[in-house]
Amino acid sequence: MKFVSRNTLFHRLDPRTKIGMSLMCACLIVLLRTPEGLLALLSILLATFFFVRPPAAYVRTLLYLMGTAVIFTMISQGFFYYFEPKTPVFTIVPENWGWIGRVTGGLAVYREGLIYGAVQSLRLCSAMVLSMTVVMSTYPSDLILGLERIGVPEKVGFVVTVSIRFLPAIIEEAKRILTAQKLRGLKGKGVRGGFRVLRYLLPPLIIDSLRHARRIALAAAVRAYTGERTHVRTLQFSRTDWVATAISAFLTIFLLFYYGVFL
Amino acid sequence: MIRIENFTFAYPGTGKPALEDVSFEAAKGELLLVRGASGSGKSTLLYAINGLVPHIFNGESSGTIQVNGFSPGERPIGEISKTVGTVLQNVESQIFMMRVEDDVAFGCENLRMPREEILLRREEALKAMDLWEMRERETFKLSGGQKQRLTISAIYAMGPKIFLFDEPTTDLDQGGRKEFFNILKRLKSEGKVVLLAEHQYEEYLPLVDRVVTLDRGRTVPSVQALRDCPEPVYGVGNLGDIVISCKGLCVGYEKGEPVLKHVDLEVRKGEFVALCGKNGSGKTTLLKSLAGILRPSAGCLNVLEKANPDLESLMGHVGFLFQNPDEQLFADCVEEEVAFGPRHLGKEVDIEKYLRISGLYEARGSHPQALSRGQRQLLAVTSILAMEPDILLLDEPTTGLDDTHWRRLLSLLHQSVAEGKTVVFTTHNGKAAGRASRSVHLEEGRIVSDEIRQ
Repeated sequence: MKFVSRNTLFHRLDPRTKIGMSLMCACLIVLLRTPEGLLALLSILLATFFFVRPPAAYVRTLLYLMGTAVIFTMISQGFFYYFEPKTPVFTIVPENWGWIGRVTGGLAVYREGLIYGAVQSLRLCSAMVLSMTVVMSTYPSDLILGLERIGVPEKVGFVVTVSIRFLPAIIEEAKRILTAQKLRGLKGKGVRGGFRVLRYLLPPLIIDSLRHARRIALAAAVRAYTGERTHVRTLQFSRTDWVATAISAFLTIFLLFYYGVFL
Repeated sequence: MIRIENFTFAYPGTGKPALEDVSFEAAKGELLLVRGASGSGKSTLLYAINGLVPHIFNGESSGTIQVNGFSPGERPIGEISKTVGTVLQNVESQIFMMRVEDDVAFGCENLRMPREEILLRREEALKAMDLWEMRERETFKLSGGQKQRLTISAIYAMGPKIFLFDEPTTDLDQGGRKEFFNILKRLKSEGKVVLLAEHQYEEYLPLVDRVVTLDRGRTVPSVQALRDCPEPVYGVGNLGDIVISCKGLCVGYEKGEPVLKHVDLEVRKGEFVALCGKNGSGKTTLLKSLAGILRPSAGCLNVLEKANPDLESLMGHVGFLFQNPDEQLFADCVEEEVAFGPRHLGKEVDIEKYLRISGLYEARGSHPQALSRGQRQLLAVTSILAMEPDILLLDEPTTGLDDTHWRRLLSLLHQSVAEGKTVVFTTHNGKAAGRASRSVHLEEGRIVSDEIRQ
């Protein structure tokens, strides 16, 4: 998941506008109480997501992530729903099943839990769509510059930049290590196999990342990095940004008043 | 510009000096070649000039260093970098930004230059390194040679008078090395001082004004001629059956046109084949498909009588060496590392024999990652040899090796060929290719020449 170069209105917005919008959405994700409100929010976010013209692969990833989030939240809430009243849909371990029943206090899937889970998963889904839309439509350096302009320390910004830049390399490296293991006869089947693979994956990966980190530190030193710097890239907060911010603020307030606040 | 007198330096806790009693001078417009084996102190010497010693590597030192009239110890590194520009080993970890022009500006921004000045310098630096057309490209999409030019351009923009290069051409192919030659020429003509620490320096000798030869931290007289001792010559033995055959092989990644286009190749048992070609010509892709790591998109491939094999079916029969040895050393000690493959494949193998022939027997108890780069490379090869595969596939096995380790690796490979194994390796190094019994040249995914030596 990374920046996709396109020329949409959303791409052209100042990163600070997008950060502001994200903060408003974050408030909504936490504060909105009713399923209708959360659905409205998710629809707006999805519309924005498609507005920035995502590649097909990203749409698939998003659907997959959202599906997983919905299913897992529903299952976990279905089992562990706490509030009363609750109606069991089906029972796995009845309460009167000897010691297992006593220890577990009975294990059942509750209808209210499933519904509660489905509603909660809307929050997760909204957060995913939001972050994907912002990452996809903002050039990383601009996002970081935006963060710095609203008061995030320069060094934090640099660490984020470097992580974004080098993370793919580390993932590639992990893949190569896994292939090398396979070629040397290590089989990763089952839980024990999985642990064995990790046992031999982590040491080279960590040591090499440390070596890499050391090289990066030296390279940053010879490029005079101290944490205080000027910037060639500039940010322009245009009229469009004001309008976009105003619309977002209006929508936020509207959703909160119309659908009620979760308190 | 640079004057070093009786300089000695030891890293903390090592006891032995990394540099001992080193003296030399360099004047404006001069190019100095710094040569020596791995661990002879080449990098340390560069660090002493750019201030990483003593600012980052603080150890015991004596003697004096004067760079453009000041001593690097007295000024902060950022300040020194205005005078001394350093291109470190491994280009990959020196690119910080996602876009070419942003990376060139990075150093200037750190020097807190005003925006207008940076824009001017950036344009000049991009043009000087012939990157102006690519200024908006994403850095991770550049080729090895372009990345090298980008790092040099980024240093150039900071406006130093002295350029230090630490093994800059390791990952470059012939074309990249030629470009680098022109860059050196340009820097010299602009009156910059250049220090070049390098293993493969032959083609740069016409530009060299002085040679500093380091041997275990000491300078030695450079009277001895700048040429290599003769290497063992390899004779072709009897060849056996065909073990690898490709017909019309096409291999590609997810999208776009295939990297390999209709490759026909037959390799017999006992052959020692070099796959040569520029970066991006498809050598590594071919090698990976021979190991079943990549699957063909068209055509047929037979390896050890298995048609279009996958990785699992070749496990134990084909050994594969990745470029970076560190990605294939998993175990806690050298001995265990060599035993790793045979143990997981359920083979009984004489581990000691392999430790001895690779010269790693003395180090058998050490942690693999604690060895030197050359030793780690040898260990990675030995660990693959110990699985006693029929075919050995090696991706750029000679990268970054000094002469000693290079010879040792070569003799290991020759020995396994003599034992009836088949070796195929990729290289962009002409010297390495000359040691093989057959060299296959690739260009843009096709085989353009196939030469068997007698």
